[in-house]
Amino acid sequence: MNGGPLVGVRGVHRRYGSGATAVHALRDVTFELAAGTMTALVGRSGSGKTTLLNIIGGLDRPDSGTVHVDGTDVTALDEDGLSLLRREKVSYVFQTFGLIPVLSAAENVGAPLRLARVPPVERERRVALLLDLVGLAAHAEQRPGELSGGQQQRVAIARALAASPRLLIADEPTGQLDAETGLSVMALLRGVVESEGVTALVSTHDPTMLALADRVIRINDGQLDEHPGIRSDGRLDEHPGTRSDGRLDEHPGMRSDGKLDGRANGRGDS
Amino acid sequence: MLRLVARRARAQWPLLAALLAVAVVGPTLLGTCALLLTRTAEQALETAASRATPDQIDVTAYTVTMRGEHARSVADDTRAVLTSALAPFATTTAARGASVMRSLPRAGAPAVAYLSGVEDLPARAQLAGGRLPRAGAVPAESVVLESTARHLGLTVGSRVGLGRELADDPDQGIEVRVVGIVRPLPGSGWERDPLAATGYDPAYRDGRSAQPVHAYGPFIVDLADLLGGGSTLDRLEISALPDLSAPSGRDLDTVTQAVLGADRRLGRTLGDRVRIQRVASRLPSTLLAAHDQQRVTTAAVLAVAAIGLVLTATALALAGRLSAGVRGDETALMSALGVGRGQLAGAALVEAGALAVLATAVAIPASSALHAGLTRLPPMAGAGLATPFGVNAAQVVSVAGGALALAAVLVVPSLRTSSPGVRGRRELLARSGADLLLVALAAVGWWQLRDQPTGSGSPIDAVRVLAPALLLIAGSAVTLRLVWPALRIVERLAVRARGLMLPLAAFEAARRPQAVAAGLLIGLGCAAATYGIGFDATWQRSQQDQADLSVGTDLALTLTAPPAAGQGRVVGAATGGEVSPATDRGVAVGQWLGGAGDPPRLIAVDTTRAEALLRGRLNDGRTWKAVGAVLAPPARAAGVPVPAGAALSLAGKATGTTPLTVTPRLLLQDATGLRTPCTGAPVPLDGRAHPLPDCATAEGLRLVAVSLPFAIATGNVGTGYSNALTEPPAGDSRVAVTLTVAGADSAASSAGADSEVASWTATSAGPAPGQLGTPAVALTGTAAGAELKMTTTVALKGPPDAARTLVATAFPAPGPVPVAVSARFAAEAGARRGARLDLTVGLTPVQVSVAEVLPAVPSAPGAAAVLADFDALSRALAVSGDFDVPVDAWWVGRPTGGEVADLRLGSVTTRASETARLTGGPLRAGLPAVLRLLVPAAVLLMIAGIVLHVTFDLRARAVEVARLRGLGMTRREIRAVLLGQHVGILVPLLAAGAVVGALATRLVAPLLVRSDTGSAPVPEVLSVWPWAAEAALLTGLLAGCALAVSVVVVVQARLADAAHLRVAS
Repeated sequence: MNGGPLVGVRGVHRRYGSGATAVHALRDVTFELAAGTMTALVGRSGSGKTTLLNIIGGLDRPDSGTVHVDGTDVTALDEDGLSLLRREKVSYVFQTFGLIPVLSAAENVGAPLRLARVPPVERERRVALLLDLVGLAAHAEQRPGELSGGQQQRVAIARALAASPRLLIADEPTGQLDAETGLSVMALLRGVVESEGVTALVSTHDPTMLALADRVIRINDGQLDEHPGIRSDGRLDEHPGTRSDGRLDEHPGMRSDGKLDGRANGRGDS
Repeated sequence: MLRLVARRARAQWPLLAALLAVAVVGPTLLGTCALLLTRTAEQALETAASRATPDQIDVTAYTVTMRGEHARSVADDTRAVLTSALAPFATTTAARGASVMRSLPRAGAPAVAYLSGVEDLPARAQLAGGRLPRAGAVPAESVVLESTARHLGLTVGSRVGLGRELADDPDQGIEVRVVGIVRPLPGSGWERDPLAATGYDPAYRDGRSAQPVHAYGPFIVDLADLLGGGSTLDRLEISALPDLSAPSGRDLDTVTQAVLGADRRLGRTLGDRVRIQRVASRLPSTLLAAHDQQRVTTAAVLAVAAIGLVLTATALALAGRLSAGVRGDETALMSALGVGRGQLAGAALVEAGALAVLATAVAIPASSALHAGLTRLPPMAGAGLATPFGVNAAQVVSVAGGALALAAVLVVPSLRTSSPGVRGRRELLARSGADLLLVALAAVGWWQLRDQPTGSGSPIDAVRVLAPALLLIAGSAVTLRLVWPALRIVERLAVRARGLMLPLAAFEAARRPQAVAAGLLIGLGCAAATYGIGFDATWQRSQQDQADLSVGTDLALTLTAPPAAGQGRVVGAATGGEVSPATDRGVAVGQWLGGAGDPPRLIAVDTTRAEALLRGRLNDGRTWKAVGAVLAPPARAAGVPVPAGAALSLAGKATGTTPLTVTPRLLLQDATGLRTPCTGAPVPLDGRAHPLPDCATAEGLRLVAVSLPFAIATGNVGTGYSNALTEPPAGDSRVAVTLTVAGADSAASSAGADSEVASWTATSAGPAPGQLGTPAVALTGTAAGAELKMTTTVALKGPPDAARTLVATAFPAPGPVPVAVSARFAAEAGARRGARLDLTVGLTPVQVSVAEVLPAVPSAPGAAAVLADFDALSRALAVSGDFDVPVDAWWVGRPTGGEVADLRLGSVTTRASETARLTGGPLRAGLPAVLRLLVPAAVLLMIAGIVLHVTFDLRARAVEVARLRGLGMTRREIRAVLLGQHVGILVPLLAAGAVVGALATRLVAPLLVRSDTGSAPVPEVLSVWPWAAEAALLTGLLAGCALAVSVVVVVQARLADAAHLRVAS
């Protein structure tokens, strides 16, 4: 399941402001992410998590250093190139869900497919599949305002997966959810990493979510501080929720086939 | 709270500046309208008065029949009455009088003559020889007209003895000495001379003599001699002309009332010194008409102000709502901190009050500058209404009131504290109710306008002021509700698209709850602007139509005296157009005389040239050419050519012993179709040829009819001439009269114009046709010229003065004259096509048949009028023995020259001048000017509203824009989506606004357009939708809106960065 590094970050610096008031958001950050893994990025508020995610996703640019995603030097891309990168290789899941309010759940999920100009029939098939994957097939025509926070985040995950990205970036996806719903969302992420083979980089400051990650990267004051519990192969060691094959074990709400059970099907997310 | 307000103002100054900018527009428009309605209106009235022609403002007192000893005192008292009536203004007076007729013993035939006095004689007559008379000479000095001198053989130095007055208490005869010969100047009032300045009338009748007598005069003496000479005056008229070069409105009102009462005062003053007295003036009606025009303009200006105010209020409501949205968090925080609703309201009021004060401070000078600028542009500058920068109280009050009212509109949204759900329901209900109320009010307004076409008569007609604004608001509100379903359709269609941009723009446009105020503002602004252009075009077109119809032709020269033969050629040379004599006068139709001062009118022109001559809108695609063809005779009368200066003579014989005379009248036609009579002296039927002088006076004349009224020579009463018969006549007398036109080519007669056979017809004219038997006429050519031989048998039995008139015409009796009648005439007289009616033209009955029914007859808008061919009418009159074909004007089609006024034949009116008066006169120019103000104001407010709305919308949606970037959309794509979304909303709103504007133009504009008297215009107003101008406006609006939106979108798309991705939606 693990391959070569999908993401390579080398010596990334990012500073906001200048002079005495300058804030160093990132200092010489270097790491790699293996393909097909789920990595948790943890740190306190203001530690630089979001800045790092934005730089990897091409929403921000480093002052120095390089970022490679799937062999593409993100820091060398122009605006259009970055847009293309986000459209084809990188997807986002935001803390605030990031859904377009005027679009239904299905339309939100289909938005990346429309951007990729996927034919309507194929688009509809894929949207239905993804909504089924996140357990929201029955809510396809509902708008974000009519969905609970957990349901909205599931829609956001489905949308993030729509264009079959290589890298899924989730910026505190459970930040606005209660613990139980947050856990189910993380379990879903874990599941789609397994089922879709996508590489996920998830920022969180909830320690209970770390158990679902293959690897944990801690960032502190703009500098990396690798989690001591990470094994040499990059996987978590002795995490109770992870089986030896890398899948979730007996996680409440997640079935053995990697899909969510009935409770996670939107009924208990509100 | 004050500190909070101040600090908030510092922090949110761009928002407040935007609010202030919007808030200034309405009061500025209001202030400008206030200045138009006060300063400009007063100036317009004064300018209109100062531009009035003398005949519109002079006041003339007519006094009739006064004994000689009273003449001077009557003149003095009359002057005093007139001068006091016009007291606020300096006045110049001019008097002219004429004595009663006196016998003229040495004329060789029964004759009368009269004295006259003219105060400003040098301005009314040109000295041809000698000098003007002086007062106090013995015998009295006088001047005579050239024609009088020629007929009486007078020269400078001649002495003329005038006999006793033909009055109940006659004065003794007097002697005058001729010191000069004068030539009357046209257009100087000679039409009111007893002989209309002809100097001689061979068949004068004044009711004192059984037979017509010769009349000569005037013998013009100095006015003082006339008034002090003891002669009984037949008429004395004194005209007073006020100097209105710098009038004030109040003085004009005073004069109006004084002149209206002058007639009564003159009657009281003169008592029984005169038999009849009357004061006549068009001044009151001129000034009252000016006030009527002002009222019409005022209503229109107020209507525009109302629309502008509504627009501004809508823009401010939108701005208030948006600012309340921006301050929503702040308000919630303040409430959470314990700030009461009253305190919040107080802060909002303080802020709104400050805004109102600032708006007032800006709007006052802005409106003054705008007003001053507006008055320097056409049409106001051309109307003489250019005004310097100035401020007045009405403007200040209007601006301050408007600013406060608008500030109140701004406050309302900030006071709302109810929960969104409750507010939503309430708003929905309130909006539905408001929409229904608006629609109901608009319907009532339209109904009131339609059913009360002449307005309420009050200075400010609320219906006319509010109806357009109501219709525009109601229409915009209703169409606003239709825009969203339309967007839903677009949305459904967009779902099928493969890409994201188009569907997303469509989804955003259709699904995002739009601000009602924004939609209303856009729709209303577009409706107001398109309506402004449409109404302006409709108004202009109506004024043009009214001018066309009221003048009736391109150039009308209304004559002050009957035209002389050959005058048409002169008029034609001066104008360079198609010239036709025209009749325009009241007639009786059977027993029907029409209303008071509103008789049925007869208009007659040469309808063979109707296309060139007649103007005015016809319905159903008919043309004047087609109408004219129906009315004109098949061909023109040929007649006998009468070369200029040709010798005409008449010789007649009568059987029997009863002495018969004939006073021949010839009807001569010139090249323009003008037919003028030439009356000879009474000729005894003694077998000798008697010359007929002064008939062949112009080139191109043709003799088309001859009238021979036979008379039994009996003498006349009171003229000092008597030749009474000793026995009453009896039996018949066979009469043969030959008229010879020397030098005339009779062959040319038969090959006359337009191929009508030159057959002459003889008839015995009414009213006693039985007095003549077997009338006949024959035209023969001789070496000397053409001879017209007329024979008949005269019945001698009966009254000596019974009509025994043989009429020979170069055309057959025309039968009923085909006429076209106006729709009003048809309705009031019950005349349909084919109906036959009897008109009385002058004293002659003329039978007509209705060939056409027209909406209106040229030059007679709204009147019950009849249009006839001049040739056909004069033929009908001629066969009845009436050669006095009424000619009141010259009508000229397609004139190329403008020197006709120099001829001083009468007043000149052109279509162009009438149109200019109606569209750009001082009292009218305010309307088009303010309409042109409405359009930019509406556009400005609309674009300001759009910018405000889009700015606030995009600021609120910055996070959404960032999300689109997160999805992988480029900035260009995002801009396209946002632009597409907003333009997608703007286009249907603009289209809806244009539809409402078009609807308002069609429904309301025709009801709002008024004639200059405030009545419904004739012809009926046609709504005009100027496609080119409207398309240009809409294109400009769309481009302007798109540009404004683009700028905001570009800025907002740039500002929406990754930082927004962490912000909750």
